[in-house]
Amino acid sequence: MNEIVLQIECVNHWFNHSKTDRTKYKIDANYILYDINLQIKPGEIISLVGPSGCGKSTLLRAITGTHPPKSGRIILNIEDRSTQVTRPSRDIGIVYQQYSLLYFLTAQKSVALGLKLDKTTISQRMNLWKWLPLRKKHLIESAELLSKVKLEHAVNLYPDEMSGGMRQRVALAQALIMKPKILLLDEPFGALDEATRSELRTNLRKDIKSNTQKECSVIIVTHELDEAIYVGDRVVGLSQHWDWRSKGFKSCPGATIVYNKPSPVFGPNNIQDFEAFMNQKKEIQVALKGVSNG
Amino acid sequence: MICQPIKYYQRAIIAVCSILLIVLFYTYLSRRQHQINPDDTTIPTWAQLAKGVQQVVTPNYRSGERWLIVDLKATGTRLAIGLGISIIGAIIIGLLMGCIAHVESFFIPIFCLCSIPPTAVLAVFFVLVDTDIKLYVLMIAFGILPSMTTNICSAIKEIPAEFIYKSYTLGGSHMEAIWNIVFRYVLPNIINSVKTQMGPALIYLIAAEMLCSNNGIGFRVRLESHKTRMDIVYPYLIMLASFSLTVDYFLKKLRDLLCPRYIKK
Repeated sequence: MNEIVLQIECVNHWFNHSKTDRTKYKIDANYILYDINLQIKPGEIISLVGPSGCGKSTLLRAITGTHPPKSGRIILNIEDRSTQVTRPSRDIGIVYQQYSLLYFLTAQKSVALGLKLDKTTISQRMNLWKWLPLRKKHLIESAELLSKVKLEHAVNLYPDEMSGGMRQRVALAQALIMKPKILLLDEPFGALDEATRSELRTNLRKDIKSNTQKECSVIIVTHELDEAIYVGDRVVGLSQHWDWRSKGFKSCPGATIVYNKPSPVFGPNNIQDFEAFMNQKKEIQVALKGVSNG
Repeated sequence: MICQPIKYYQRAIIAVCSILLIVLFYTYLSRRQHQINPDDTTIPTWAQLAKGVQQVVTPNYRSGERWLIVDLKATGTRLAIGLGISIIGAIIIGLLMGCIAHVESFFIPIFCLCSIPPTAVLAVFFVLVDTDIKLYVLMIAFGILPSMTTNICSAIKEIPAEFIYKSYTLGGSHMEAIWNIVFRYVLPNIINSVKTQMGPALIYLIAAEMLCSNNGIGFRVRLESHKTRMDIVYPYLIMLASFSLTVDYFLKKLRDLLCPRYIKK
């Protein structure tokens, strides 16, 4: 097994590409990401933090493959096979901020959607004799996963009948059923109230660790530092307020990684070191605030 | 309070009252007209109307055919074929236009041409396809296909991109994303679009029948209007209105059946 499952190499992203030479980096105010380098190990949970508008979601979209970076590479290493991420694939799952559950599917069918799309084709589904028993199997599998995330009572509920927390868990189950190598969570607690956030934050690690293969790595995008330290094995800080003037740039070339350190793990069997927690929080705050712009 | 729903029975009573009001107003107009001219047929009495209905449902003494059956068969066939082709065409082109930018770029100029009212292009259709069924199908398709297609295309554009991206991360292909996500998502919009285009489809068909047909509802309405036989024209118009209402009702039921979560959304 590879020691690095996801490798982000010199990733740059900008909006106004027509004015920019792709071979030489033109320092432009439209840069979003600048020289992002990151390596993620199998089974690691990474918390990606940063101020609003710093490009966290852009980086996530680049990793998903829906919006590949303008320069640099994102390499996915699976079973001694390295592929550059240029399009979305079933190996990288995502849970969006608004959960993106289809309004016409129940929780059970939403979770089973991945199995349907991944394991069968349209022509195979035309053969009802084969498809219907398989569909039944998919639905059972989906119901089992929903019961694991404590939603056994909600299998037949539609998204508009569920609370924010329930929707979040359905979206998580939808991604987990695919057993992805990388799971991306874009502000998974963003739309929830504080009480639900706190409850789900506690359960998220457990849900992910118990329902995925050990080598599934997770990237959680958040702007909440407490959440980042609490959930992640490692905190990665992204900020546009880094010391870019010392490098001779006329304007800020975009956000880059300003912090990358392991965080105290708040698992059920770990000693909860709140002093280390507070120290790390301060350290991240200083890093994100930056030196020159601070 | 404004924007508040009312009870079902209240709604029914108000609807019945509105129909009664129309009936009463018509009766008053008819009576007044017949006081001026007892042989008047422009606003026929209820008895004259009943006689007119009887005439269209009984076999004609010359041809032996029932006008109503002949006209309904002719108009119904034209409408069914025209609508069928337009709906299937609009779904296919609309889905492709909404999902593939190249197809959208290709069809935009063509649909700009289709903004000409079909009745104005009737002479061109007449030259191209003569006056057989193809003319009416073409009229309906030319009239409603572009707007239905653009409605479907706009509905697709409103689907949040995350749904499509997610389907790829769940192992879906482009075709599966179109079929399982996009089509299912916009299905209520497609049915709504058919509902709204039923009226224009009937208008174009009736107009074409009025101008160049020797059977059908449009032909009969024009012919009997020339003879001021409104005792025949009015029942035909009521029948058209009833047909539109029935189709509208069934399309709504179909939408509720196929997309039960649509209203909640």
